[in-house]
Amino acid sequence: MIFPYYVRLIILCFASFYVAHTAMWLAVRGFASTGLRIAQTMRPRMAAQFLFAVRSAPMVVSLFLVAGFCVPSYVWWEPNIAGERVGWICLAAALLGISVWAISLVRGGTSIVQTERYLRRWIRESKAGDSADLLIVRDCAAIMAVAGVAHPRLVVSQQVMEALSDEQRAVAIRHEAAHRSSRDNLKKLLLLLTPDVLPFCRGLAQTERAWARFTEWAADDEAVDGSQERALSLATALVRVAKLGVRPAPAYVLSSLVNGDEDLRARVDRLLRKPAYAERPLQPLAAFARNAALILGCVAGTLLLWPESLNGVHQLLERLVQ
Amino acid sequence: MNHAVNNVSSDDQASDRQVMLGPLELEVMDVLWNSGARNVREVVKRMRRELAYTTVMTTMDRLYKKGLLARELDERAFIYSPKLTRQEWNRRRAGEMMAGFLSGPEESRHLLLSCLVDAVGSHDSQLLDELETKIQRKREELANSNQK
Repeated sequence: MIFPYYVRLIILCFASFYVAHTAMWLAVRGFASTGLRIAQTMRPRMAAQFLFAVRSAPMVVSLFLVAGFCVPSYVWWEPNIAGERVGWICLAAALLGISVWAISLVRGGTSIVQTERYLRRWIRESKAGDSADLLIVRDCAAIMAVAGVAHPRLVVSQQVMEALSDEQRAVAIRHEAAHRSSRDNLKKLLLLLTPDVLPFCRGLAQTERAWARFTEWAADDEAVDGSQERALSLATALVRVAKLGVRPAPAYVLSSLVNGDEDLRARVDRLLRKPAYAERPLQPLAAFARNAALILGCVAGTLLLWPESLNGVHQLLERLVQ
Repeated sequence: MNHAVNNVSSDDQASDRQVMLGPLELEVMDVLWNSGARNVREVVKRMRRELAYTTVMTTMDRLYKKGLLARELDERAFIYSPKLTRQEWNRRRAGEMMAGFLSGPEESRHLLLSCLVDAVGSHDSQLLDELETKIQRKREELANSNQK
């Protein structure tokens, strides 16, 4: 099929993203179990960050490859002529690229809308103002959670408030505050936005589950911060809150992050052993900026040291487009 | 002579699907939870506001059909009693609500929440008891070592 210059650029971007992403995804999938073993040797916060980086690597690296090499090589080397043929393989790869992105964007968008809807309901029920950070809801549901991304709020049901003693409540709030300060909901959203290799195929769920487990452990450590008393209070709070409710069927990212009863047992056992001290909080934005600068530096360095690389990429793109 | 009127289908109804209660139904349940088995006339007397006998009777009949009340015929009047304690009711509502927003339709599965206990649950009650015992033992150990 014949397409004009800019449409061809868009097709090439999606196709090359899909090809690069699939290759990276397969590499990460192969590395997943080794990655988990490596993570187990780290402290929870670091392990969570490592697994998050592993999980999002295919998307991040592919985006940088497209933005850093494919687009410049196309603009630099491709003559702006009226129209050129695009092969079926390239078109199929582009369509797959578009569909995996569309699905992940819809998934992320839906999660934001749904969460906001619940937050509005909770704000209304708690009669707290729009800017309130703590929402105490009279719902019967046993919930204690940090909800939302842009302005995360602590939502606690009256039932949980009544079930916990002052110490247990305080340490549970510290746990939630740790989730809030490390922006775990934002990371959850980013994981939801991470495209899959095939539409509706979630192949790295094990890494996501492990990431979630380590974020819980990290929040536990931050709440407890080396105090045996606080560890006991948190363990009691976990069991009491678990006793208040009924487990729903597993749901992707939110509850599939928890491996059922064994996860609760592991958390309580961990708290009853020597309680860990809080790790130095990592600055997620600073870490992102550092990693982005690193990748951009690599792209710029490659282009400066090996200017022919653009030509090489262009030849690869030519093959892909045919 | 007392006649137990058991309705098996209403039992199933209550356990199998979500039961939503309106404010008046909750008020009636409150009266029965606080005062135990009562007939309609006694419930009318105990309500916080003045309501017609027929209104309360209809409400209690609805609660019976929802499987939340049991009733026995005592001479000419039904005696109603709650089938669930207040705690059991709260627990069930909690479960229904959590199940509703965590495992409901596809779009509600991706809420951006960080829960204290994710998927709070019908964790095996034996496991929860076992964990509680462990915590208690640890607490005692700690108390003993502090005394020494």
